[in-house]
Amino acid sequence: MAHFLEHMIFKGTEQFPPGHFDHVIETCGGVANAATSHDYAHFFINVASQYLEEGLYSLSELLLRASIPDEEFVRERDVVLEELRQAQDDPDWVGYQALMESTYRAHPYGRSVLGTETSLMGRSPDEMRQFHRMHYQPENMTVVIVGDVELEKTLDLVRKTFTGFSPRVQPTVQYPVSDIPMAHIHRQEMGLSRVEQARLLMAWQGPGIDHLHEAYGLDLLSVALAGGRSARLVRELREERQLVHAVGSNFSLQRESSLFTVSAWLDPDHLDMVEAIIGDRLSELTETAMSDSELSRYKCLLCNDYAFSTETANQLAGLYGYYNTIAEAKISTTYPAHIQSFQAEELRALAQHYLSPQRYSAMIIKPLD
Amino acid sequence: MTQSRNIHHTILQNGLTVIAIENSAADIVASRILINGGSRFEQTGKAGVAHLMSAVLTKGTDCLSSQDIAEKVESIGANLGTDATTDYCLVGLKTVSSDFPSVLKLAADIVRSPSFPDHEVELERRLALQGIRSMREQPFSVAYQNLRRAIYGDHPYGESGMGTEAAVSMMTREDVWAYYRDVFHPSEMVVSIAGRIDPEVAIATVEDVFGDWNPSRPETNPPILSSKTTSGYQPQTVVDVQETMQAIVMLGYPAASVHSSEYTALKILSTHLGNGLSSRLFVELREKLGLAYDVSAIYPTRIDPSHFVVYMGTAPTNVETAINGLQKEINRVCQQALTAGELQIAKNKLLGQYALGKQTNAQMAQLFGWYEVLGLGVDFDQIFQDTVAKVTAEEILAIASHHFASPPHVSLVGPQPAVTLLKASAE
Repeated sequence: MAHFLEHMIFKGTEQFPPGHFDHVIETCGGVANAATSHDYAHFFINVASQYLEEGLYSLSELLLRASIPDEEFVRERDVVLEELRQAQDDPDWVGYQALMESTYRAHPYGRSVLGTETSLMGRSPDEMRQFHRMHYQPENMTVVIVGDVELEKTLDLVRKTFTGFSPRVQPTVQYPVSDIPMAHIHRQEMGLSRVEQARLLMAWQGPGIDHLHEAYGLDLLSVALAGGRSARLVRELREERQLVHAVGSNFSLQRESSLFTVSAWLDPDHLDMVEAIIGDRLSELTETAMSDSELSRYKCLLCNDYAFSTETANQLAGLYGYYNTIAEAKISTTYPAHIQSFQAEELRALAQHYLSPQRYSAMIIKPLD
Repeated sequence: MTQSRNIHHTILQNGLTVIAIENSAADIVASRILINGGSRFEQTGKAGVAHLMSAVLTKGTDCLSSQDIAEKVESIGANLGTDATTDYCLVGLKTVSSDFPSVLKLAADIVRSPSFPDHEVELERRLALQGIRSMREQPFSVAYQNLRRAIYGDHPYGESGMGTEAAVSMMTREDVWAYYRDVFHPSEMVVSIAGRIDPEVAIATVEDVFGDWNPSRPETNPPILSSKTTSGYQPQTVVDVQETMQAIVMLGYPAASVHSSEYTALKILSTHLGNGLSSRLFVELREKLGLAYDVSAIYPTRIDPSHFVVYMGTAPTNVETAINGLQKEINRVCQQALTAGELQIAKNKLLGQYALGKQTNAQMAQLFGWYEVLGLGVDFDQIFQDTVAKVTAEEILAIASHHFASPPHVSLVGPQPAVTLLKASAE
């Protein structure tokens, strides 16, 4: 629903026919787009600063007063179904969704943001209007503006344009994250006909935003495993033993429960051995603290990556908006200090707590002949 | 970013071009080393050698092993990567400003004295073969690849940069060396630098690590474009049956190179048709008909004759409607001039996104270095923008009706029912 609504926002208001907003922004030489994740939907425009007022006015009109016309709803559903079909043709997406389902079970984090054909066909324009009025409210919304603008004038502009929210609708159920820790390894296999190599995907639940420091520690551990050619798993599995085509590790911060994954692309013959080796390397992380020189290398990598990804107005707006939506904007600048403060022993303890080689979910994709 | 950005440009004694752009916004220096090479220079039967060479380039020098290099880079949190595209090979790096000289020195070492160790060539060759096979997992890649083969025949633009399974499975370390010796020469190289660094210092740093490099110059000629694109145009329909959820439909035409006077008009046309939420294909085929999520146009900037493609991903039952819809929009731009409003919005969009595409240091270093290696020079940045402003709707109409007069090549990837539908509609 949230993702489909993100599409429908662009279908106009009583004042704006469908497509009018896109026309306005692109006439200014600007770019507009949107994306939906599990924690938030985000809409952005990127225009030269003299067009800020026009852009902001148009965007607020869409966000606050989306009319969600019935006939557009039916048409746009076909577009979302195409987006879903395109995703379903991507074996990495298919594997990842199955992994999320087994990791988060009944929680919405376990479901695809795109929905399913059945869930999409079961929604009505009325339900969507309800959903819109429930969530697109001032206390849930962050407006971030970065660029060559004056502060007071811009604040006034936001006050002026972001008024007249729709009447509030009471929220429905909240889903608690399953905090029953996994008792064992939850392993599933899937055969796909169009794949040319196997995949091994492994996932662990991490802390939510309320344990931000610990979450950043997992970011460091993820880099230690696969953050470059000299990282542990890349060096051993890709370069030296040549058992995988590629191996990666990813940490993603989510509000209620962050996610730690290790993924490998490999020949099906090597699946068991590679899973066992990854388990051994995790055991090492939980047993032996890494050397200071290794740790400082990973710190440096992450801090520089952070600096490298905050060059443009667009990147900064995304960063501030993200943190303000899941917590508060000001913590977005604390990342390098958190990372620098870690000691090797603390990371070992975090690995022991969160990254058990005996308790995780695994998704294995094998090619079908 | 301002238009009056100061771009320093110089050529060293050995022919190496240096571009330096000072931008103090962040404590970052990015550099792009571009070599006039790429898959365009691959000889017959060697498709994929540029990609393989660039994959092995960072995996050993006369004095350093692959892990030595990785540790040097990663221990200071720098980025160092290589790539090979159709028209150039690339070594890219990004560092905090103070680390720049040492990382550039390492990059120079890699460029000047690679060792291409046997076991690293073998590892990357195996992985490249796997990469070629894995491309078949992505329906879009398959459709685009089939279309390019139809358009280009034997010219290297006909293959993906990864090369062919046949060629890569036979490839040897000697092939990698031969390709390297053919294309890596200072007179064919541009070092482009942007970031918090004095341009004079940047140029001196390059001089310091590259100035005494004078390898002997081999004779080398890129292959000539196959006759397919230059004469005897024969539109083909290529069908690839795959059990996918979605069918990919592409229509493609040979199109002008970046050196052609028609280049800018075609860029405006591809923007009009396929770029953004207000573009023609998006509005007509996605907004009004709900046929697709991804529908767009592709017109890559190339030294040799390029190609112009319109495509979409759609439900298998929609294939015929999709092809007709794409063709209808192509026909329309051949028959009717863009209105003043349409032309203006396309120009604004093109120039607006052009400006957004040169914000980071890496983007700036890349853009100006690329213009240099394409043989356009850094002035092309301004020339391009001025030309966009001047193009008229009549010129675009004339160019479109000339380029798109013949039926297009058609590429389709999809399940059997979609393919059957296409055949039925062709009869």
